[in-house]
Amino acid sequence: MHTNWVGLFTMFRREVQRTLRVVIQTLVAPVVSAALYIFIFGFVIGSRIEDIGGVPFISFVFPGVLMLSIINASFSSASSALYFMRFTRGIEEILITPFSYLEMLLGFVGSAVTRALMVAFLILAVGVTFGAVELVHPLWFVGYIAAIAAIFAMLGIIVALWAESFEQLQVLNTFVITPLTYLGGIFYSISFLPETAALITRFNPFFYFADGVRSSMIGYSEANTMIGLMVIGGLVVGLAVLVTQLFKRGWKIRS
Amino acid sequence: MSAAMLEIKNLVKVYGTGKEAKRAVDDISLTIPQGSFFGLLGPNGAGKSTTIHCVTGIAQPTSGQILVGGIDVVSDYKQARTKVGLSPQEFNVDIFATPEQLMDYMGGYYGLRKAEREQRINELVARFDLEQHRNVKFQKLSGGLKRRAMLGRALIHTPDLLILDEPTAGVDVEQRHDLWNYLQEMNERGKTIILTSHYLEEIEHLCRDIAIINHGKIVASGTKQEFMRGGKSVEQAYLEITKGTKE
Repeated sequence: MHTNWVGLFTMFRREVQRTLRVVIQTLVAPVVSAALYIFIFGFVIGSRIEDIGGVPFISFVFPGVLMLSIINASFSSASSALYFMRFTRGIEEILITPFSYLEMLLGFVGSAVTRALMVAFLILAVGVTFGAVELVHPLWFVGYIAAIAAIFAMLGIIVALWAESFEQLQVLNTFVITPLTYLGGIFYSISFLPETAALITRFNPFFYFADGVRSSMIGYSEANTMIGLMVIGGLVVGLAVLVTQLFKRGWKIRS
Repeated sequence: MSAAMLEIKNLVKVYGTGKEAKRAVDDISLTIPQGSFFGLLGPNGAGKSTTIHCVTGIAQPTSGQILVGGIDVVSDYKQARTKVGLSPQEFNVDIFATPEQLMDYMGGYYGLRKAEREQRINELVARFDLEQHRNVKFQKLSGGLKRRAMLGRALIHTPDLLILDEPTAGVDVEQRHDLWNYLQEMNERGKTIILTSHYLEEIEHLCRDIAIINHGKIVASGTKQEFMRGGKSVEQAYLEITKGTKE
């Protein structure tokens, strides 16, 4: 049977409508946070910090702030949507309709990426008003943010399937995503770190996420691009296979 | 004899493993011909909903085979699902969505294009008298209106097989009779309907064939006339059978 394109589009459309239904939580809040980050780190503190690799601090920080918002938007969109669907049994709507397991993956991930891109677009607009946006490699930029949003959407799906309470829904975000994001060099150059800490940072995948977005925006990179692409590509493929298998097994969604 | 719309062959569904394992459906076989109005009865926890869940894809059969219109619901699940519409017992919906949105999303999931969906929604809204409520949030609707919205959602893609799990629970008498008329009308036009209900007069009024499940097994099946032999009502026959099959 052919691909259920209308069904997939309906999933994206539904997520956009859900996003707009709680616009303050889904769009306004991340944009306000990003604007505060840009103002404080870019202007208040950034004006006292020297350029990094010839790049103004605000331009160095902005890609990281953008990435942080994309990660939060895609993770919370996927995890909350699926968790609530499990909780209210709304997931049955998807289970009884003609979606393959791969289409289910595409539907949930695509919906979360759609919301993350809406947030990214608004933050870019804020960045433009602060003069913080450069776009040296626009295609790479789109590729990086789409891939990062997809990775966190899939992590959100896994957490939504695993969680048995609202508290558990926050566990990965609190104890893994947030620390690794902040320690991944979004607000600083790893050249600021002692040698050992810099070496450890290179084992943090979030470092490659931030570096990829940054290099596509301002052309400044501290990581090996090939390693970064392998980390990101490997995570996209590995998580896609894992989530598709979980859907196929019906783990926590099909009795 | 018309072709089978639903064939269930040796269906087994076990929940859990080891000592915790519960055999919810225990080797059920059932054939429901096309155009049938079929009543599936049984006490709470007997295995009715589990059987329905296995047919619709909500549950994964442990063993056995289920064919909808000759299509296997496991190996060819995408195709099989286009043929079935389900109005479940529980309101498994986004309570902030309106009846129109619920039908629209469901139609989209089934692959209906916008023009088709709009036409179908208008037909169903008119048929179920939801015009004034089509844009009211589901959570604000009365029990009867909620049931009608669920029915509209189940019918959006004009399925060949309609499964109704307690479709008139919480619906007032007038609306229940109106729904009965609609279901009879659909059945006369060739739609196969499976109905589970605790209102046995509903089963008696609507269904031509009946099966009773108890403890995961089919304990009786036949035509309504066979159940009502000797001047009994379906309810009397049901009570006799289920009491006789207590563990």
